[in-house]
Amino acid sequence: MAPSAIDDRVPQAPHEKTYPPAKIFPVKETKFEKFIEPQTDGYKRALEQPGNAAIVIDNGSSAVRAGWSFESAPRINIPPIMAKYRDRKLAKTFSFAGSDCYADTTARGHIRNAFEAGTGIISNWDVAEHVLDYVFLKLGLNDASGSVDVPVVMTEAVANLPYSRKSMTEIIFECYGAPSLAYGIDSLFSYRHNNGKTGLVVSSSHTSTHIIPVYNSKAVLSQATRLNWGGYHNAEYLLKLIRLKYPSFTGKLNSSQAEHMIQDHFYVSNDYDNEIRDYLDWNGLEDRDIVIQYPFTEEVIVQKSQEELDRIAERKKESGRRLQEQAAKMRLEKLIKKEQDLEYYKNLQGRLVDETKKETRRLLDSHDIKDEGQLEKIIKELEKSIKKARTKDVGGDPEEEQEQPDFSLLEIPDEELDEAQIKQKRQQRLLKSNHEARARAKAEKEAEKARIAEAERLDQERRENDLDGWLDKKHQALQNTLQKIKERDRLKQDLGNRKSLASQIRMKSIANLASDNPTKKRRRGGDDDNFGANDDDWGVYRQIAVGDNSDEEQEEEDLASTLKTLEQDLLKYDPNFTYENTQEAQTVWSKSLLHAFTRGPRPIDPASQAELHQIHLNVERIRVPEVVFRPSIAGVDQAGIIEIAGDVLTQRLGSLPNRDDFLKDIFLTGGNTLFRNFDDRVRDGLRALLPADSPLHVRRAEDALLDAWKGAAGWVGSSAWKTAAITREEYQEKGAEYIKEHDMGNSYA
Amino acid sequence: MAAPTEAQLAHIQLLEQLDIHSIHKNFRNPNWKPNQRRNKNLKAIVGDASKREASALATPQDVSGDATPAADDGLSTSGTSTPATSTNGNPPPPNLAQASRSLSKLVLEKTLKPPVGGAGAVSAPNATYTNIESAPSLAHSKHYCDITGLPAPYLDPKTRLRYHNKEVFGLIRTLPQSSAEQFLAARGAHTVLK
Repeated sequence: MAPSAIDDRVPQAPHEKTYPPAKIFPVKETKFEKFIEPQTDGYKRALEQPGNAAIVIDNGSSAVRAGWSFESAPRINIPPIMAKYRDRKLAKTFSFAGSDCYADTTARGHIRNAFEAGTGIISNWDVAEHVLDYVFLKLGLNDASGSVDVPVVMTEAVANLPYSRKSMTEIIFECYGAPSLAYGIDSLFSYRHNNGKTGLVVSSSHTSTHIIPVYNSKAVLSQATRLNWGGYHNAEYLLKLIRLKYPSFTGKLNSSQAEHMIQDHFYVSNDYDNEIRDYLDWNGLEDRDIVIQYPFTEEVIVQKSQEELDRIAERKKESGRRLQEQAAKMRLEKLIKKEQDLEYYKNLQGRLVDETKKETRRLLDSHDIKDEGQLEKIIKELEKSIKKARTKDVGGDPEEEQEQPDFSLLEIPDEELDEAQIKQKRQQRLLKSNHEARARAKAEKEAEKARIAEAERLDQERRENDLDGWLDKKHQALQNTLQKIKERDRLKQDLGNRKSLASQIRMKSIANLASDNPTKKRRRGGDDDNFGANDDDWGVYRQIAVGDNSDEEQEEEDLASTLKTLEQDLLKYDPNFTYENTQEAQTVWSKSLLHAFTRGPRPIDPASQAELHQIHLNVERIRVPEVVFRPSIAGVDQAGIIEIAGDVLTQRLGSLPNRDDFLKDIFLTGGNTLFRNFDDRVRDGLRALLPADSPLHVRRAEDALLDAWKGAAGWVGSSAWKTAAITREEYQEKGAEYIKEHDMGNSYA
Repeated sequence: MAAPTEAQLAHIQLLEQLDIHSIHKNFRNPNWKPNQRRNKNLKAIVGDASKREASALATPQDVSGDATPAADDGLSTSGTSTPATSTNGNPPPPNLAQASRSLSKLVLEKTLKPPVGGAGAVSAPNATYTNIESAPSLAHSKHYCDITGLPAPYLDPKTRLRYHNKEVFGLIRTLPQSSAEQFLAARGAHTVLK
């Protein structure tokens, strides 16, 4: 629909607009970067400071970050995935962990995640072990003597399941032989790193969102609340929305791409309801619409140079001429041959005049001719064809010269004719009827032409005499056509629905047509139901035929062209009927909300491969990040973070005398809080739930992604760590489920 | 078979460099044999945990350390048959009875006891993975168009889709039922056949 809107055929149509270039971004996804050498220096340094150094692993579901506690940043940052497969050609088993999995297509196909999709719980321990192998390998522990002889500090999910913790503890002590192990909660480490003492930790990470009150550096875990929504769900939700928005999209979509789109272009709306209402308005849509370009191959249209085109045209002309020449030559040869034949037969005829009957018979027989009559016929035919060929060469119109055929025999009754003449008469009759039919058709054509001309003249006359009446009539006709189009569309739609009235009527007709017993009881002898006596009876077959029918298409075109001419007339003569009133203008892309939604503020060129491989992100930019505030949007039956935080602050902690201490430090951490406006939104939302003069302060983590690791690294060496860590001896004595409760960790459940 | 190109060779070399399967890992215990059935999904883990919790709750909590669990099992009513918990028919020695009670049960007993001092603000059960999930929202839920995400004042009774205006409605009516269900699934309102 779009290209016709900017066509120049319609005089009032707005002229082609130039648009500022769209914001087009190439699609991004996680890729393999480079090989990481195992680094042994950290291990050596760790051995130099026994008791104060540990391997810190932030065991997250989006990324596993690992490094040495005495350093400021983790050395390794990989997704918790592995790929293992056997290459049959090389007869070798390969296994990769982390980003290395993306290095090879086969490996990419074998990727398995350690975590259960959408949760912070490890469900595949083989993968988890593999990822830990990778971590220890890269940290240079292959130099160690038979075990990981450095303490390990690890993060785990809030209220981690005992089974999960037990399995991890077993692996760390049994498989790696670590001297001690301590667990903690990532968001609490992050809070510690940001010098938090008392406050409300709001942590929205990859797989879940937690709200944990912290009092005097100790987490009040009994009040912790989890919302099952995080960055992972955002990406999956966006993927779902994109697939629904572009059902026939040919590019390959995956959640890693969705994650990058969310990271780069999405933001939290300060006032969702007001912003979303006008999001697809044409004003400023250019700024709100983001285009993601997927890779595509442009169909190559070979542009030929003028020279080449000329040469091709020349060659074509040349060959045409040669063909013409050949044809002319052949025609000439034929003509000559015919003339020779004619001469010969004429000669023969001349000779026959003087010959005896017997001799004549012999001569004719030798030429395979039955009698003199046939000879004459041959001569006549030859003359005729020579004449025709000559006129063609000269360029005359054979039609003009065609005389009325000879109908002489038709008048004579059969009795007076012999056998041959009767045959001829029959032929003449056929010729005559043919001739007459042609003449009739010609006359009819002319009459039709005259009728149309007359109608046009009358129409014009009416228009000139009574413009208003004429316009009324035209408007009426326009309405009728529109109505017809609508009805046709509805019928088409109804036939798609098995239960609709139209479908039922159709089924009834089919049943009637197919049934052998007559619908009504008839008397004997009256079996004929007169079907077909009325021409309209056959219409039933048109009614029951569905699907693509050439008939139907014809009709469709008819209606469309009628509409077009009516509109043209109105445009010409009705001053009140402008371009804006035409159907075309009303269905043009710039009026369409859905066009704005799927294709942004510019027309689309359906032939462009580039545009077919584009994704427009507009409403999604605020719709997806909004879910964490209003989970019902994505069908999650839980309260949003504002509601949870408000509930914790006003209800559960409301009775505390020092409740305001919590308000003074609302702390945001986790990758899913990195959206623009996230903090403003939390502040505004909470303010609405709290008394007017509450001392509310919302702050973000310094580095929402790495602060958990940094906090854990900083915790190592403290006395709290030393008491919280479980030693190997304690593990052996008390079992895998044994933990010590501490400020940063989970309680035993 | 064509000879591998240089790029392919380089790729194989890279893969061999990245491969961690062939590297011997000194730090691993060579005798480590993990349980073959350790991979469980969340549902199974939670199910097992709640089963254990339920069975721990079923047994009386005020057993003193020296009482044999078989004696006051509470399960056998006739008293003639030996309860299944006593393994070998002989009354087990008291210290064994205490050892057989798992650590988790001890903790459970501790937490189920009414709080003595008002240390916490409110007395609440310990946080577990299942009980920290947030409750359903009490807030009034607003309706948004299933197709465009804009505010949706209308509901199509046929497909149950919410829509923004008549143009979107036109689109909805051309959708096959299956894709209408997908739109519903995006907000979790689709029909689930069980």
